Formats: sequence, structure tokens, C-alpha cells
Amino acid sequence: MNTSPLLEISGLKTHFFLDEGTVKAVEGADLMVQHGTTVGIVGESGCGKSVTAYSILQLVESPGKIVAGKILWQRPEATGGDLLDLAALKPNSREIHAIRGGEIAMIFQEPLTSLSPIHTIGDQIVEAIRLHRPVSQEEARRQAVQMLQRVGIPRPEERLDNYPFQLSGGMRQRAMIAMALSCHPSLLIADEPTTALDVTTQAQILELMSELQNDFGMSILLITHNLGVVAEMCDQVVVMYLGQVVEQADTVTLFNDPKHPYTQALMRSIPKIGQRRRGRLDPIKGMVPDPYNRPHGCCFHPRCDKFVPGLCDQQEPPLRKLKSGGMVRCVLYGE
Amino acid sequence: MADSSPNILLSVENLKMHFPIRKGFGRKIVGHVRAVDDVSFSVCCGETLGLVGESGCGKTTIGRCILRAYDPTQGAIHYQNGRGQSVDLAQLQGKDLISYRRELRMIFQDPYSSLNPRMTVMDIVAEPLRIHRIAEGREIEDRVAETLRKVGLRPEYMRRYPHAFSGGQRQRIGIARALVLDPRLVVCDEPVSALDVSVQAQILNLLQDLQSEFNLTYLFISHDLSVVEYLANQVAVMYVGLLVEVASTDELFQSPKHPYTEALLSAVPKTVPRRNPQRIILKGDVADPANPPSGCYFHPRCPYAIDRCQTEAPALREIGPGRKVACHLAEQLKLHGVETS
Repeated sequence: MNTSPLLEISGLKTHFFLDEGTVKAVEGADLMVQHGTTVGIVGESGCGKSVTAYSILQLVESPGKIVAGKILWQRPEATGGDLLDLAALKPNSREIHAIRGGEIAMIFQEPLTSLSPIHTIGDQIVEAIRLHRPVSQEEARRQAVQMLQRVGIPRPEERLDNYPFQLSGGMRQRAMIAMALSCHPSLLIADEPTTALDVTTQAQILELMSELQNDFGMSILLITHNLGVVAEMCDQVVVMYLGQVVEQADTVTLFNDPKHPYTQALMRSIPKIGQRRRGRLDPIKGMVPDPYNRPHGCCFHPRCDKFVPGLCDQQEPPLRKLKSGGMVRCVLYGE
Repeated sequence: MADSSPNILLSVENLKMHFPIRKGFGRKIVGHVRAVDDVSFSVCCGETLGLVGESGCGKTTIGRCILRAYDPTQGAIHYQNGRGQSVDLAQLQGKDLISYRRELRMIFQDPYSSLNPRMTVMDIVAEPLRIHRIAEGREIEDRVAETLRKVGLRPEYMRRYPHAFSGGQRQRIGIARALVLDPRLVVCDEPVSALDVSVQAQILNLLQDLQSEFNLTYLFISHDLSVVEYLANQVAVMYVGLLVEVASTDELFQSPKHPYTEALLSAVPKTVPRRNPQRIILKGDVADPANPPSGCYFHPRCPYAIDRCQTEAPALREIGPGRKVACHLAEQLKLHGVETS
């Protein structure tokens, strides 16, 4: 077992240069994924969780650009085992093509829009396999059948010749997972993999993902806004707000003792099942600010109930390490 | 308010909505999708009935039948109108329906597609007033401003177009459009599932405040059980066009009597890290409502199914006060609910 992290992002900044101004979608993301673990990224829409994931794979589209930071990727032994800075690679370089799909795979929220509608499931999986492995068409097809079977699709030989629209939502997401895992990646990035699914199907897919993680020994970076999904799946959690990591901790600590006022407010605002409480919910006051004018100082201060005038609105607090091992970006936890 | 015995505002009896499947030359009818198949329930005035189930189970179809956006195939929808008379909405046609469209309103799921991008907020909220000829000229503007204030929006913004508002604000506009006619029953079709977690809490609070202020009755359609637990007094669980269980919220969450309800409750991810006692994972997919299985529709996925379930469809029967379930084994099974945290 390797002790160095599989993926380490530090000071990542991804900006979008638009006519109306610059949107700082990611403005200081730091996170670490260890071998064989699951790390969750949570936050509201527009907090930069997806852009962080897209940055890892160099999939950020123009006018977006990674402007600062490092994304250190520990390549597997088979491909040299060296440390590579993905942020420095060109989006169409040979290295990133080998990594995308081969070493790091990604699954998306809505499989119907991310799978090609005019190719069969089989063709798409075979293409992914042959892109990364020197195998024959027949061998790739055999592997594809095996993968479909592994993700629990009944009658995989027949399903291979189906188009995405012929499958149900849950089956499509399974096919998507089969495709992502067909080259045995060491990291799977899952961007809201169950948001478009029913609760019962969600439970099936989450179960499948943890099973496959045990089998393949891969790490998972799980992006979601559902705190329940995080609580069940993740070892570590990263909370993002307006493009910044505001808190990072292991799951048990984060849920039992959230530090950052944003994390605390987020936990209070969600209706939890089994509460039997027909009182009022406790929403976070205000709204996520306009991305063109980020608040000065700590970007959460206009909505924070522990706001310290003269301090929070003046300077941006750094991400500090806590004794518990977590990190938090808030002046309340200074030395 | 009508003081007729237990103040039931809406009672749906044996409602059926079948959609024909047409194929081939002459568009012959080759079958029916039984979206809603013999559903009965009632909602008391000022209360909230939660309607839950997986996608495609017919929740939205019921909502639309009640508003008469669809012509129900069969059944009765008894509604106690503002003058204390009971009318069967399913029988009304054309002009007679218009006056009820004032009292029964709907809030939609997606605030991005349910507002016309070419109309200002003023036009969107005022449209129902104009159609029902309730107000004219200056009065329209005053009523729109008042309604916007009620839902927590600033009336100064009423000349703007929907694109200038965030998701939560748009949903408030949708709520204002529903409330501007002072309705009595509001069908909320997944009103918060397209919203962010923090905004969701604001809208749920708003819906609750409006309910107590204007004595509204909600039919709350949702697939999110935690939201339903928070808002509803009563919950009806649907599976493939049929009700499988009806109970008060507390009873349903504490001790479900139908295996499907148990599985639904167990599937909700809990916000307690890594404590996941024997989750029930349902096998397979929801049955096809055009071609449902024999007997109990749930039997192919049910972990407790016996031979009888394959042949005999269970009726929805009363097993306690206000408590109905459609399962042969309702009395024998010991099912797990959600532990109170």
C-alpha cells in the first residue's frame, strides 16, 4: 500500500472569462484522495464542485481556464508510477488522453445526455476499452459483456446491442458505470451519480458502487449535494462554498461536530428523516451571491450568523489545520 | 367554511385514468397504460396529504385529474366548494369547471420551465386575475404586489422577466401565481425537488406559513420522504397506479405495514455516518403500468411474497382508524420503520 496520496489538489483556481466579467468558479480548492477511499465534495449548485472535477480531467471548456494551482496525480505502476501535475498538461495532450478514461474515469448525473444516443451501449464500451488497451474487437466485446454482468445488468449479451434510450434510468447508470470501470481506473469521479434517480434505484446504485470499490480497490471522488449520500458512502468530506473549500474532515467528525458556520447551517437546514418534527426548518439566510461580485473577505460572511464585523468582511481567512485532523476556513478557529 | 361533518374538502373515489396506446394503421388502440387504477383517498380541510412513490407510479396523473387537466376514465372527485356544496369535479365540463379552477390551483416542479420567459413577473401573476375577470387596471397591480409580498418577493421587481431570478425566487413566483386567486386546495407537484438544499428549506417554510395563514389544503406530491414527513399530516404511498398504504405520517414512518413502504423508507440515505442497519435493496425495476404483473403488482420485488401474492391482488382494506393497506400479510409482518433520531 502506498502512503502518498493518489490525488492531491492544492490551490486550484479555475476561472471563466466571460463578456460580463470573470467568474471565479473555483477559487482555492485543496483536497486529497488517498488510495482506496471515498472522498465526497458537497455544496450548493454553483459552488464549483463540478468544475473542480472537470479541472482534474482537463475537461473545462473555453472560456474557462485553470489559472493557478497543482493537481498532483500518482500514476499507477503499470504506467510508470511517477507523479504528474495534471494542471500543467494541455487539454489535448497524449498524457491526459491516456489518463482520461484509463486511469481516472468519470460518471455523470444524467446518463441519457452523457451517453451517445446513436451508438449502442456495447459500441461505446468497446470503444473505451480499445482506446486504452491493445485488444482485439472480439476480446473487447467479451470484456464488455463481463463488465455489464458485473454491474448487474441481466442478459448482458442482448443489452450490449441496445441503445441508451432502450434502458431504464437505473440500467443506464449501471451501463455508464460499466463503461467507466472497463479499463480498471484507480480513481472514479462520480458527479451526482444518483440525483436523477428514484430513492430505491439510488440505493441500488450506491450499493453497487461500494461493492465495485471493494472489488477493484479504486478510490472514488463523489460529488453530491445530498448529505445523506455523503454520510453513507464517504470516508472524507470536503465542503465547498463559492469555489472555495471551507471545511474538510472525516465523515464522522464532520457530521457529529461540524466546525464551519456554513457546514453547520447546511446541516440544520435539511429535513432529516425520522425527526418527527413538524416545526419550522432553519434555512440559511439570504442567497448564494452573484458570482461576478464575490463578497469581500470571507465569502460566507453576508449569510453567516457568527459574523464578526471588521474582521470577516476585511480579510479572507486561510484554510487552517485543526487538531482533529480536519481543515477549516474560518476566523473562529484561529490560533 | 362549510361545517358539514368531518370537514373533508376533497374525496377521490375509485379514480381511474387509462391512457390508450395507439399503434399502426388507423391508430388502433392496442392497449392501455393504467396510470391510475382505482384510487380512493380523502383530504381534510387545512391539512396536507403527501402522495409518494417512484417515478412513473401515477402521482402526477392524480394531481392533474383533480385539476381536470385530464378527463378521468372513471371515478368521482367529490369536492366541497366554498358555499358548502359537494360537487363531483369528474362530471363537470367546460364552463362549469372554470369557477373551480379558481379554488384549485397547482404549483409545478421545475421553476425554469413552468414560467413563460417572455412574460414579466407582473404578467405571469396577473394572468389568472385577468382570465377570471377578478380585477382590472390598477387593482390588478395592487393585488399582484400584495401576493408577491406574501411569498417573500419585493414588488419592485415585478417588471422583470423570470431569467433575472434565482431558482428559489422563481418557485416563489410560481407560488404567487397559484395563490393570487385565493385558492382553497393547492396541488404541489414536487415543488422543491429541483431546488438546492438550502433553498428547499426556505420554500418548505413558506408553504407551511401560507398554509396556516390562509387555511390552505395541500396535496403534496413528492418522491422525497424526508420532505413529506416534514410537511404532511397523512401520507398515501403509490405503486404502479395503485395506493398500497394510507396512514397518518407518524404511524407510517414508525411502523409501515406494506413491504413497499418499508423498502422506500429504508432506501432513503440517512444523515448518520456509516450506520446503516440492514438496508432493503429492491431488486429489479418498477413494473410496467401497460403490462403489470399478475396478483399483487409488487410481488416480483417483494421479499415477503407468498404464493397467494402471485395470483390474488390484495384490496386496499382498513386495518385501523384512518389506516389502510393493500397487502395480504399486513397483520403478520413485522416491518421496520425509521428510528427516531
